[in-house]
Amino acid sequence: MPGAFLFAQNKSDSAKVLQKVTVTGERKHNPFTAIVPVQVLNHEALLQMNAENIADAAKYFSGVLIKDYGGVGGLKTISVRSLGGLNTGLVYDGINIADAQTGQVDLSKFSATFVQSVELDQANPQQIPMPARIYSSASILSFTSSSFNTANFSKAKWLAGINAGSFGLWQPYAGVYVPVSKNTVVSANAEATWATGDYPYHIENGMFSQKAYRTNSDIQSYQGEINVVNRFADSSTLQTKAWGYQSERGLPGSIIFFNDISVQRLEDKDFFIQSRYLKKLNETTTILASAKYSSLFTKYTDPNFLNNAGGLDDRYTQNEMYGSLSLSHRLGEYFSFSVASDLASTHLSANINSFPTPTRMSVWNNLMIEFTKSHWQINASLLNTNINDKTISGTAAVNKNKFTPAFAIGYKPDPESPFLFRFFYKEIFRMPTFNDLYYTYNININPKLLPEYSEQYDAGITYSKNFNSSVSQISFSADGYYNNIRDKIIAVPAQNLFIWTMKNIGKVRITGIDLNGQINGKFSADLKWSARIAYTWQRALDVTDPLSSVYKDEIPYTPDQSGSGMAAVFYKIWSAGYNILFSDERYTLGENDPTNLLPGWNEQDVFVSARFPFKNFQTIIKGEVNNIFNQQYDVIHYYPMPGRSYKLSITINNL
Amino acid sequence: MKKNKLLFAALVIVAFLFSCSKKDTPAPPPVPPKVTTGAFVLNQGTYGGNNTTLTYYDFATGTQTTDFFKNVNGFGLGDTGSDMIIYGGKMYIVMNVSGYVAVANSITAKFMDTISFKNAGVNRGPENIAAAEGKVFVSSTDGTVAVIDTSSLTVTKFITVGSNPAQMVVASDILYVSNTGGFSATYDSTVSVIPLNTLTESGRIVVGINPGSITTDNTGSIYVVCTGDYVAVKPRLVKININSSTLQSVDSTFGTIRYYNSNLFTTGGYLGAANVGIFNPSTLAAVRASFITDGTAIVNPYGLDIDPATGDVYVGDAKDYVSSGEVFCFDKTGKKKFSFSVSPGISPFKTVLVQQ
Repeated sequence: MPGAFLFAQNKSDSAKVLQKVTVTGERKHNPFTAIVPVQVLNHEALLQMNAENIADAAKYFSGVLIKDYGGVGGLKTISVRSLGGLNTGLVYDGINIADAQTGQVDLSKFSATFVQSVELDQANPQQIPMPARIYSSASILSFTSSSFNTANFSKAKWLAGINAGSFGLWQPYAGVYVPVSKNTVVSANAEATWATGDYPYHIENGMFSQKAYRTNSDIQSYQGEINVVNRFADSSTLQTKAWGYQSERGLPGSIIFFNDISVQRLEDKDFFIQSRYLKKLNETTTILASAKYSSLFTKYTDPNFLNNAGGLDDRYTQNEMYGSLSLSHRLGEYFSFSVASDLASTHLSANINSFPTPTRMSVWNNLMIEFTKSHWQINASLLNTNINDKTISGTAAVNKNKFTPAFAIGYKPDPESPFLFRFFYKEIFRMPTFNDLYYTYNININPKLLPEYSEQYDAGITYSKNFNSSVSQISFSADGYYNNIRDKIIAVPAQNLFIWTMKNIGKVRITGIDLNGQINGKFSADLKWSARIAYTWQRALDVTDPLSSVYKDEIPYTPDQSGSGMAAVFYKIWSAGYNILFSDERYTLGENDPTNLLPGWNEQDVFVSARFPFKNFQTIIKGEVNNIFNQQYDVIHYYPMPGRSYKLSITINNL
Repeated sequence: MKKNKLLFAALVIVAFLFSCSKKDTPAPPPVPPKVTTGAFVLNQGTYGGNNTTLTYYDFATGTQTTDFFKNVNGFGLGDTGSDMIIYGGKMYIVMNVSGYVAVANSITAKFMDTISFKNAGVNRGPENIAAAEGKVFVSSTDGTVAVIDTSSLTVTKFITVGSNPAQMVVASDILYVSNTGGFSATYDSTVSVIPLNTLTESGRIVVGINPGSITTDNTGSIYVVCTGDYVAVKPRLVKININSSTLQSVDSTFGTIRYYNSNLFTTGGYLGAANVGIFNPSTLAAVRASFITDGTAIVNPYGLDIDPATGDVYVGDAKDYVSSGEVFCFDKTGKKKFSFSVSPGISPFKTVLVQQ
């Protein structure tokens, strides 16, 4: 959802917006022309990488740390620009996916197979109209399915395929898109993933060093969705999506010296149904209505837990009702504004003794004003958030009512210039999660817990130009940023290692540089190539307490440098490519002592694929070798990542 | 093309930046010093971090060596060391999450053997250690006390006690074990009684919700901290008169208690202030506001041990439980004698004097 720079297009702003929302699949936007940093991986790029899920894709963005606990079944969460895992919103086909219990969603739940594009927007996505809740995060990771692509109206389409790989990976999938009438398309897709995850790793501990295999690292997951898109005579559209996910997996835990037993299991059953109705009222005004119901069920078991009940069996059910109304309106030649109001009611219950059973009412109201004239695009917004918790037992958190602003400005030296200068500021907060506030086991409940604030400043320059030569397009962006976190929510032991309490005590100062480059070209009509790189330099320093030994030390798991690169060539039916992810060394604890230093790593993958066209369909066969140099590394200390692995994929489709 | 050159230059700069890494890498382990007179400190480390460490502090040179155990033996102890003892020329280190007891020479810390605490592969959760009459006892979260033969270094017997036992103390040829039940929805509230001549639980004394730290005055009384349920039931200090089987108790906020020479020494519990206290064992009243009399500030008193020979009190300061800890030594009047960092050791919990 980037704000394509609409110079000289003022008069048709709303029309462009309308088209963008409807035609998700066909949009060929250029993220290097947005006034806030936007990174996009389109379907072609996704096909080039080893991405079982959207977390694997998001690793290729600059400024991103995916906390990856290893393997297909390992939990994967995102932290952008060191703001922490709870400050990035997740949006699927235009509506937030939220988890009020943990505050962050396990990205391994979302397969990349049917995804059209994955996008990371810093601050606010520059699109109107848009639900107010999307404004409530420091950054937004969004992904879109191909289900609402208008090309689906023209003919029925289908695809089916299977991925098979090392460590017991089997991933069959199939999907259909059927135009049931001239103005209605129904689509459905489903995918299963099985992996044993028993990859080898090495334990280094002197005379007790040994080669071992990851155990209890298996997963079986099933997901599917049904989509209906209706086009009406007045050109309004209605998109409805029902999505389900079920998985059962082992939680192998961290490597513990002298103790290799792991029996903890995690079961997820998630479901949501969402609908979006978009209508252009007139030449200047567009409305968007969204609604969603979601249900998340989690079951965690540990049969070896040494309680009297003979093990743990904790079950949580979270339900949310959500609705949003937004409107955008163009005022005269230069101004447009949009207003949005959202409401969510979230309920969490558990089978745990004296669980408070909280219900949270959240209201978001957002006002956004945009000014666009010749060289300038300026955008300011104000978000009001109102949170009200109630509990059946115990003390509920105090109500919160906050106003937070955002501001972005872009300047082009002249409308045809390939250069763009940009700046943004955003203040936002994350709410204490249900776990922060109400998790009773080993945690002292702290209802006075406040939101955790972040302030972001970013200044950057972008360059994007097309050529008529062997290089057809070059795009480049460089952004420097400064983030300030205050009232950071930190778990603090309360006089005992086993009893903790949550406090708003942390302060973090983050400075960084993000560089992104993309280049496409062709050597001949048949031989095309593309390359992209993302690079991050950053410093995230703990500035909580000048008397502490960790003052001005780097916070855990923030490498000074990290990045990615992708290169691919396309020749007739063939394509081949090389991908790299790399990270500098980083500390595993707040104290920057050499003994806490985790080595840097890089993972390099190669692939070859061939497309064989037949009369009514085509077959694509792809082979991958991932982590070709068999690099042994941990993203999170003592959660080893897989070494070299192989994958073979075959797809048949009529796309 | 000029633009291409620009881009290429940018890529080169990036590659250069990536190749420059200036952080320190861990230095090779130094040659461990010879142990003379001093103290060993067991630092628990962080859960899941495999970073339990042993510090040797040398009284003569005033220098500390961490990780002394790894320097001597070339391997790390593992995860969450919860207790240690020196007995009969051997050092026993209880590794709670790694699920074993490491046995080493009590002076050189040279590794001798491991005693596994797995029950059909499942960690029993060894936690606390005590010794008497030629035997070493280890209580485990799975509700057992193991009896270890000190020459064969094998477990000869598992004695079943209450739920999730915490600490042990020996008084008058009887082993007393506090049963917390801390892993269950309902806490335990008993102390198990195990006569050393039978090594079988003969009974349980009901003392109060969630009994934890336990000590004795060796003149007929046992003291135990009942931590409560963290919600409604507040912590209490309970005194058991063994002969009359009577209980005396007061509200308390204690974490760890130790007895020495007609005084009870305490650290603040989860409700209490972060201080070290001194109490009268008869009245259970405070002798003075703080044991520390010279104003020495301790962030988070965690370990509490007393040198039986001198009465010096060693306090392990765990700070925030995730960064390097510090150990303070006070004389019996509460004045600081010396202190040392156990860096990079985390959460110093147990200090044991070297026995030459």
